[in-house]
Amino acid sequence: MTVEPALEAVDLKVSFGAIKALDGVSLRVDAGQILSVIGPNGAGKSSLLNCLSGVYRPHSGRVLFHGRDITALAPHRRAALGVARTFQGIQSYASMTVRQNILAGFHCRMKTGLLDALLYWPRAQREEREFSARAEEIIEFLELEELRHTLVGELGYGLRKRVDLGRALALGPSVLVLDEPMAGMSVEEKADLARFVLDIRAAHNTPVILVEHDMEVVMDISDQVLVMEWGRAIALGAPAEVRIDARVINAYLGAEEP
Amino acid sequence: MLPSGVFFRDFAAEAAYLRTGPQRLALALFVLALVLLPALAGAYLVGVITLMFVTMIAVLGLQITVGMAGMINIGQSAFVGIGAFVSASLASKLGWPFWLTLPAAALAAGVSSLLFGLPALRIKGFYLALTTVAAQIVFPIGIARLPSAWFGGSSGLAVEPVSIFGHALLKQHELYYFNLAFVLLFALLAFNLKRTRVGRALIAVRDNDIAASVLGVNIGYYKLVAFFVGAVFAGVAGALLGYVVSYVTTDHFTLWLSIWYISMLIVGGMGSPLGAIFGTVVITALQESLHALGNAAAARFGSDFGAFIFPATNSVLGVLIIAILVFQPHGLLTGWNTLKAAYRIWPYRHHGG
Ligand SMILES: Nc1ncnc2c1ncn2[C@@H]1O[C@H](COP(=O)(O)OP(=O)(O)OP(=O)(O)O)[C@@H](O)[C@H]1O
Ligand SMILES: [Mg+2]
Repeated sequence: MTVEPALEAVDLKVSFGAIKALDGVSLRVDAGQILSVIGPNGAGKSSLLNCLSGVYRPHSGRVLFHGRDITALAPHRRAALGVARTFQGIQSYASMTVRQNILAGFHCRMKTGLLDALLYWPRAQREEREFSARAEEIIEFLELEELRHTLVGELGYGLRKRVDLGRALALGPSVLVLDEPMAGMSVEEKADLARFVLDIRAAHNTPVILVEHDMEVVMDISDQVLVMEWGRAIALGAPAEVRIDARVINAYLGAEEP
Repeated sequence: MLPSGVFFRDFAAEAAYLRTGPQRLALALFVLALVLLPALAGAYLVGVITLMFVTMIAVLGLQITVGMAGMINIGQSAFVGIGAFVSASLASKLGWPFWLTLPAAALAAGVSSLLFGLPALRIKGFYLALTTVAAQIVFPIGIARLPSAWFGGSSGLAVEPVSIFGHALLKQHELYYFNLAFVLLFALLAFNLKRTRVGRALIAVRDNDIAASVLGVNIGYYKLVAFFVGAVFAGVAGALLGYVVSYVTTDHFTLWLSIWYISMLIVGGMGSPLGAIFGTVVITALQESLHALGNAAAARFGSDFGAFIFPATNSVLGVLIIAILVFQPHGLLTGWNTLKAAYRIWPYRHHGG
């Protein structure tokens, strides 16, 4: 029996002027799998994720969500399907509190329309209450209780990345796409975040696509690793296989050792 | 930040704007003061405050477009003007009552704002500001060119007074209460918007539009919503203005007025409807005190001096606004919040903010 991939990319090509950011990359991720994407700076990892979440429209190739072609779908529609994403660097809503950020993540799960919002009548109040309680569950899961009313702009880097993850979780993701979620974090913070990712997978069987530079974490938590260089996939396989692949050692892993 | 010792039993209590007994009491006293004011103040002051209420509604609307959603709009007075003319025309030519002219004015302003808001789907910042200025330029030309049977052309329109159960509101204090009711209502709507899903979506678009779209916010739709709602407030303000001044001409609705609205918002603080309220009160108070000073000086030193003093008061006002922004770059509201927090943790020092 073949399993239908949760998210699949087929032969994606994206270029910016003369730069081929993606030059025919494919990937698939199944329920419960963690797929890590690694590669040197400028390899095209973020461009790949941008194609998955709809920020970039590939020049050719397709993106399939449970078999459905979503290549032309706007980002907010993919979000409604459950393609949740965090970003490289910090992209949380700086002027909102931690809880408001997470509530904002519930956007396409909530229904309050313009008139409901202006009048804030019982229906809107009820929804606000219900989702505040759900936001609280995410806050508890990510151990952000003390900070729920702190403005995200005032938080340190590691905590802001955690809020980013919380906001993506609010979507009730059917695929979780994370761009360098651990960059700039301390060892403990990285361990926490890796634990959160594993817990999410364990709880909901959510497939995860993860871009990460920290090899130790990648080798530890991934089921599969996709190695990229110059917009191409140069290797794909289980961590143990990829680690001994000559091209990978040459292109990437080797670069770390003198 | 809350006073210490205050905890909430449920989210409803926490979500409420007025979270403690004293806060509720303060608001009740404030509203009571507003209700009693006409009995205590002179007719001139009551008139000034009535007009301030109208302005406040326009600035509250601007806070939604510019403050919440982060799209600059330097054409707000044109939307006020559209509301004023539509309501004036319906009231005096067709005899519509205010409870029909107001929604019609709101809708007319809202829909026309979409025309000028559409470019916001493609452009940001300075170029968008220019399109909103275009609204300001097109508006008087449009009124002048349309058949004068509709909007009175360049000579303007007289407005029939508001009539409630057959009683015409003509006295200063009647108009005061009429407008007070609307400013309270629209302030409430603005606060409501901010704390719900729609407000968060608008703020998300302002803070980070790419992240917002990836997290499910249809940014095009919400940009238009921001323009529409902001202009609906403007349209209502325009209709009310017509009833207060009882005659509307395009001269009322200049680019300068729009710039005043923006100044009020910036001075008060763009981040919250409270900032719009603060800013409108402070700038109106400054305008009026300088005006009174100028009048007194002109009366004393003769009209030659008067010719000099009035432009001078405007410059002084400009300098005062700059001074406020130098000391409180995020508007007076941040200053107020810092003060409140400092008071609650006194005698300890307040950090951050
Ligand atoms: N919006 C854009 N405009 C122009 N060039 C771009 C754009 N996005 C990506 N590129 C280019 O495409 C190439 C791949 O970039 P991408 O951000 O995908 O790399 P990356 O693997 O994520 O790198 P890093 O590890 O530094 O995040 C780079 O050369 C980059 O300069
Ligand atoms: Mg990247």
